[in-house]
Parts: sequence; structure tokens; C-alpha cells
Amino acid sequence: MIELKNITKKFGKQTAVKNLNLKVEKGNITMFIGPSGCGKTTTLKMINRLIEPTSGDILVQGKSVVDMEAVKLRRSIGYVIQEVGLFPHFSVFDNIAVVPRLLEWEESRIEERVEELLHLVTLDSSYAQKYPLQLSGGEQQRVGLARALAADPEVLLMDEPFGAIDPINRLKLHDSFLEIQEEIKKTIIFVTHDINEAVKLGDKIAIMSEGNLVQYDDVEEILQNPKNEFVENLLGRDRSLKALTLEKTKNFVTQDDYLIISPNDDQQSLRQKIKKSQFEQAFILDENGRLIGRKILEVKKGNEELIHDHNPVVVDRNNNLIEALSTMLESGEHQLPVVNSKGKFTGVINLSSIFAEVSEAETKKEVKGA
Amino acid sequence: MNYWEFLQVYQDKIVLEVFRHLQIILISLPFSVLLSVPLGFYISSRPKAAKIVIYLASILMTVPSLALFGIMVVLLAPLNLGLGKTPAVLAITLYSLLPITRNTHTALNQVSPRMIEAAKGLGMSSSQILWKIKIPLSIPVIMAGVRNALVLGVSVATFASLVGAGGLGYFIFSGISRSNLRMVTTGAIIVSVVGIGVNYLLLLLEDSLTPQGLKNNS
Repeated sequence: MIELKNITKKFGKQTAVKNLNLKVEKGNITMFIGPSGCGKTTTLKMINRLIEPTSGDILVQGKSVVDMEAVKLRRSIGYVIQEVGLFPHFSVFDNIAVVPRLLEWEESRIEERVEELLHLVTLDSSYAQKYPLQLSGGEQQRVGLARALAADPEVLLMDEPFGAIDPINRLKLHDSFLEIQEEIKKTIIFVTHDINEAVKLGDKIAIMSEGNLVQYDDVEEILQNPKNEFVENLLGRDRSLKALTLEKTKNFVTQDDYLIISPNDDQQSLRQKIKKSQFEQAFILDENGRLIGRKILEVKKGNEELIHDHNPVVVDRNNNLIEALSTMLESGEHQLPVVNSKGKFTGVINLSSIFAEVSEAETKKEVKGA
Repeated sequence: MNYWEFLQVYQDKIVLEVFRHLQIILISLPFSVLLSVPLGFYISSRPKAAKIVIYLASILMTVPSLALFGIMVVLLAPLNLGLGKTPAVLAITLYSLLPITRNTHTALNQVSPRMIEAAKGLGMSSSQILWKIKIPLSIPVIMAGVRNALVLGVSVATFASLVGAGGLGYFIFSGISRSNLRMVTTGAIIVSVVGIGVNYLLLLLEDSLTPQGLKNNS
């Protein structure tokens, strides 16, 4: 899909990128990571020719980028930068419409596309007329992503897009980013300096240091077999724990271990229903399958009481197991409902299934060590 | 004669001189904008030239206004343009150079490089970046420079009456030579009112030219 061949970039006497060879596969998220000054951003910018390589060649979909007109090339590649770079004097609509307008699409087609993209990044269509300064950092980032996707490019370049977002919102953005990628399946190159981000989002990771490619592999492979000390240090001491972050909640969702009720059931029949089942709680879904609350049957002084919880703790289906585990420990529950980014209920995850995975991972390690 | 009667006697003269005063400023305005804004654009990407131009314009500002009018009269005399509107318009235009040029230069350079990189990365050409990103984002600051220049122009234009171009300076300078305090204060007050009025009108214009998304209250 994207192929870097013997790429070298010199700035004056300094060599930023040294003879880099790399093939990025179609539909993958490839993370470029390394300390600052390692050449990751320079490499990214050479792909859409914001920086011209000193020597070597870059092929995108089999065509050399050097042969293409720079402006046309960039219109065919999505680009998201740190702190978004939304144009403050353009409304959200106009920001998303930048590339379609450069490509001279018809206005009606642009309107449809903007609507579609706002929906994709889970923003209400009323956002179209707002201005960037009226949005939160996370919302701006979603608009930035929508803008990059506007002309439906095959390739997306992202330069530390979530760098300026606070940690809590960054986690949320990660989840919805993965969910969006499931839908659009673009070839994405993503620059980051955060190893957790790289492990969570990446299919493959390219680790760079001082202009060299140190290791380029699947995430699992890198976690299990770091090539050298540099990679080991980058991964940190908790790399066996990090391996758990590769496991997504959605793969551990159970479908047969819970009770669903509708908001219209009356109290009496609810009590009966819950009592009859062996469960202590029941989840309430609205007509669209969205989780809107739960009922808990509690025994207090011999009396059974049905408690209503308006705002149950949930796990996002794209959360990894570490995140799901920490949510469980914080809330003191051993079973949590799993939802997608639109709040739709998809099942539950049990503490026991996470523990099962932990012990399995331990066994694997021991076998390997022995 | 009380002050009210004084104003009635001078009513027509006041209206006439306010009109002439504004006329001088409004004739200078397009010249100064057409000269300073392109100059500001030119130097915005040339730091060395910018230093020199802004330095020269600053020196120009330090020349006392009265002296500048005098110099204009002397310089323009061989062309038979030494008296009347020409020296006045020229002097005010020169005075406006610094605020407008400097603000244009600052405005264009304050557009964040990340923003420009984003525009470039999305596939905008250099001229698209200039017209769609740099200029709209610069307008508030450029307009502030124009407003500065114009308000300055209102006060500097009082000297126009000394070179035969008329204007509100008439009341001030005739008042001084006749030891008529009433005339001097009247002239001074009207100059201030005109200055404040011009400033207000330009604020309105500035507001309507500022892109919606840049306004704080949006």
C-alpha cells in the first residue's frame, strides 16, 4: 500500500532519517514511535511531501509520490495534525468541506458527505454550523478526523493527533477511533510518542531511534520479543501487563449471563422476574437497544429492595482488558455492561473471564521461559 | 454673546470645516491603505526588508506633524501644488504608513505555522492559503491598524488649515491668533468628537469584516 524505499533525509549536515525501508499494509494502523528527534514525524511528512526526501523513493498505491503533483497528492491523502489545526474562521461544515471544495465537488454532494461524516465521528448534525472555538478539544479532534476523511482517501496520516487532549478524553477518543476504523478500514500511519497509545491502537508498530528503524513488527511480536534494550526500555517494565492491553473487551463479552428488561415493565413483575433468575441485577434498554439504567435487587434487613440505578458504570467494547479491569475494581462490580460508542448495549463482561485470560497469559510465558 | 449664540453664528462654518476635515482624511485613506497593506504583505515574508521598512516608517512618525506639513509645502511648491489639499493628503498618508504596514506585517506573521501546515497538508496551493486562510485571519489586526491610522489622521489633519486646505484646524489656529479661547476649545472639542466618531464607525466596520468564528462572543 505504502512503500518507503531507501529513504534518507538530511537537514544541512544532520541526517534526520537514515536509509529507511518500510512497507505499510493496506487497512492497517501502523504506529510510528520513538523519542523526539527520531525522525518519525519527518518520515510521515515525506509521504505527503510536506518534506521532500533527500534520496530514495516513496510509493503510495504503487505510484511514486515524486511523480505526482504535490497539491493533488495531498488532496488524495487524509492528514490530521496535533492540536487539530482546524481553521477558526471556518464553521465545522466549512472545515470538513475543505478538500471536497478543492476537488470541486457539487455543493449538494458536499452537504451529504459532511452529514455522513459528522454521524461517523458521533457528532450531532447541529455541530455543522458551530465554530471550532466553541468546541471542546475532543470534539475538535473528531472534526479534524472528519475533515481528513472528507474525500474518502485510502490513506490517512495522523501526526500525534491526540497529543493535546487530557488523558480521560484521550481514552474515549481512542475507543471511538478504533470503532470508526472498524467501519472505514483505512490505511493509517499514526505518529505518537506514547507507547500505551501505540500498543492500544496499532496493528503494527515501527520503532525509530536517531533516524533508524529499530524494529517493525506486529504489536504482539514486539511485546513478546523486543529486539534490543532500546525497545525493552521503550516498552517499560510492565510489558507483560501491557500484553493484556492487546485484548479487547469485545472479545470477552458474554451474551448469556444477564437479564434484560424494558423500561415499561412494572415494579411487581420486575421483582418477580429478577428473583426468578439467578442474577442480582437487570439492565434496562430503550427501544434502540441503548442502556438507560439498571435495577438491582438488594436484601436489607430481610427485606428485598429493588434499587434503580440511572447511571450504571459501563465498559466500552473497544476498551482493552486493563481498562475494563480497572473500571471493575473502581466500581466494585464483578460484572459490567459493555456498550459501543453510541451507548448501545452489546453484552456483559465478567471479572472471572479477565482472570482466566491473565492466568492463560502467565502459563504461556512460563512455557516460553522454560 | 453667550456660547449658544456663538455656536449659532459659526454653525455654517463648523459644518463646512467638519466636512473639509473629513474630506482630507477620506482622500488620504485609500492612498495609505493601498500603499501600506501591499507593503505589509511584501515585507511579511522578508524579515530583513521588514526591519528596514518599519524602521524608516518609525522615523517618519517622529517628524513633528507641523514640520512634515512644512516640508510638503516646500517639496511640492515647484510643482505648483504647495498649497491646498495636496500637501495635507500627502502628509497624512505618510503618517498612516507605520500603523497600517506594521499591523499588516504582524497580522500575517501571527497566523500559526501549524494552521498553515494543515492547509498545505490538505492540498491547498500557496495562493489558496493566502486568500482563504492568511488574509481572513489577518483582517482584525489589519483593521486595527487602519483605525489607528485614521484616528491619528483626524488629529494631524488640524494642521491642514495652515497649508490652505481648511478643516477644523481653522478654529484652533484662528482662535490662537485672535486670543479667542472659545474658538480654540470649540475646535479642539469638535476634533475629538470627530476622532471618536470615526473610531466608532471603524469599529463597526471591523466587526462586520471579522470572520464569525474569530469573535469571542460566538
